[in-house]
Amino acid sequence: MKDMDFEHLLRKSLASEAEPEDELNQMLIDQIKERRQLKTRYRKRLSVGLLAIVFLLVLSVSAYAAVQHFSAKQVAEHLSDQLLAEAFESKNAVQINQSKTSGDYHFTLHGLVSGAGLSEFKFSSEEIYPDRTYAVVSITRQDGKPMPPTTDPEYGKDSFFISPLIKGQKPWQVNILSMNGGYSETVIDGIMYRLIACDDVEIFADQGVYLAISSGSSFYSNDAFVYDENTGEIQAREDYPGASLLFDLPFDVTKADHEKAEAYLKSLAAPTSAEEDSAEAGEDEWVNWMDNIRAKIRDGETIGETIAESVKEVTYDDSGKNLIYTYGERRATMSFEGMFEDGQIGFTDRGISFSGDGKTYEALIFHRDEHGIVTGRIIILDDQYFPSEAEPAKEKR
Amino acid sequence: MDIDELIELVQLHGKSIYGFCYKLTGTKEETDDLYQETFLKAVELRHKMDGERNPKAFLIAIAVRLHKNHRRKHAWRQRIAPTVVLDEAAANKPASISKEATPEEAVLSLELRTMIQDAAHHLDDKLKLPLYMFYTADMTVEEIASALRIPQGTVKSRLYKARQTMRSILEVDSP
Repeated sequence: MKDMDFEHLLRKSLASEAEPEDELNQMLIDQIKERRQLKTRYRKRLSVGLLAIVFLLVLSVSAYAAVQHFSAKQVAEHLSDQLLAEAFESKNAVQINQSKTSGDYHFTLHGLVSGAGLSEFKFSSEEIYPDRTYAVVSITRQDGKPMPPTTDPEYGKDSFFISPLIKGQKPWQVNILSMNGGYSETVIDGIMYRLIACDDVEIFADQGVYLAISSGSSFYSNDAFVYDENTGEIQAREDYPGASLLFDLPFDVTKADHEKAEAYLKSLAAPTSAEEDSAEAGEDEWVNWMDNIRAKIRDGETIGETIAESVKEVTYDDSGKNLIYTYGERRATMSFEGMFEDGQIGFTDRGISFSGDGKTYEALIFHRDEHGIVTGRIIILDDQYFPSEAEPAKEKR
Repeated sequence: MDIDELIELVQLHGKSIYGFCYKLTGTKEETDDLYQETFLKAVELRHKMDGERNPKAFLIAIAVRLHKNHRRKHAWRQRIAPTVVLDEAAANKPASISKEATPEEAVLSLELRTMIQDAAHHLDDKLKLPLYMFYTADMTVEEIASALRIPQGTVKSRLYKARQTMRSILEVDSP
């Protein structure tokens, strides 16, 4: 057969004519819409998780009176991070003390500092990205009422998103959450202070870095900000019903590191996390292991020692479509259809089932003789055919 | 990518994704499940999707991964409580072939097409996935490489090997 003909034959034969039914598509679209709502709720739960961590930190805060706003250093001290408090006083720190009003609130950006090993509280990502940026923001109500203390049930009801955003980077992709960020929060004398931390953003100093604040959610919202794809600029939406504003972070442009910034963005845009990759590797390993065993059986190779007494002729159920194998307490029912090719004699690589306890592994395989009699048997796998420990161990119940 | 764009993808690529899922699973019930799960997973991963950077390939990659997961779980379920084996061979029976074949398609006998489909279905996953992605989902070598996270050269060699294997099976089995 000519190559062209064969190619044509393949394309025609492998094209799938199966189509989703309209009802299925409609159901799917409804589900997708529902997920949008579910996702919001899920995220809220997540933010509660974050707040729980905040509470732990808040416990150590003493409640003595403060007559005015605290400095970034004092806030860090209150949050029991002496190391960071010192960093806010260092020459690398930037004292900002700028205020803006939006929605029902008044926000003050106190100061920021970037560098490695600045905090007493280590973040897991620091092993990969040791440099981090820290900033302190305070929030008060415009109507003069105090912000609810952390012990008040009202605390956290109006949540805030406070995050560095990079000019030229889509803010829904590059924000405090994607940049391994987190925050600690405390309320002193009706003023809420939030200490945020994330991977170092000073490396983007030449591009322009904002500190974005919005109310109504702990997460970035396109309702609160608008991103101009052409200029890369981000602006607060004036029509957003809650608070929404941006501070320009006054980093020293000489501290920008274009190469490092590019590499960092590339790592953020990677299609999967390391965790997913390792899960994927585990899957592949498992599939490879199965494929390997099947190939050995197909090739008639020995994969272990057969338990002689386990060689039993199978029976069939009433439908005649399923075979039943019984040995001791073990009973397996399998669909017979497709287990053997037409006229196939010998062992089949289909319908194999495995069991094991981490020390020994067994495979149940089937054989058909020239008279069409099918027997099942259990083989104790040789050590060399054991699956890798990682994957089966994870699945063991 | 936002939810509305994702819904557009259902309309735009639904048929193609469904057809591919059918090739992987072989039954309508499992196809319906895999198809839905693929899009629902895409909802979770939508921040990683870019409408201009081939969302179809992204969706196919999700379907492949979910399918692998299912098979893995199935294998272990079988270990714990052996039940009915995944009937792979039952997949791709002539049911998937339109009864209203065009004159051109009629040239290909039903028997030959079934033979090709069976041969493809019995290929090892390494060869089968690129084959279905190429011929069923109409993906380019570059897209397949990106979806399976393997080099383009590997995709080409697997496609070549798949074609060779299919050809040898057909030459042996052809009447």
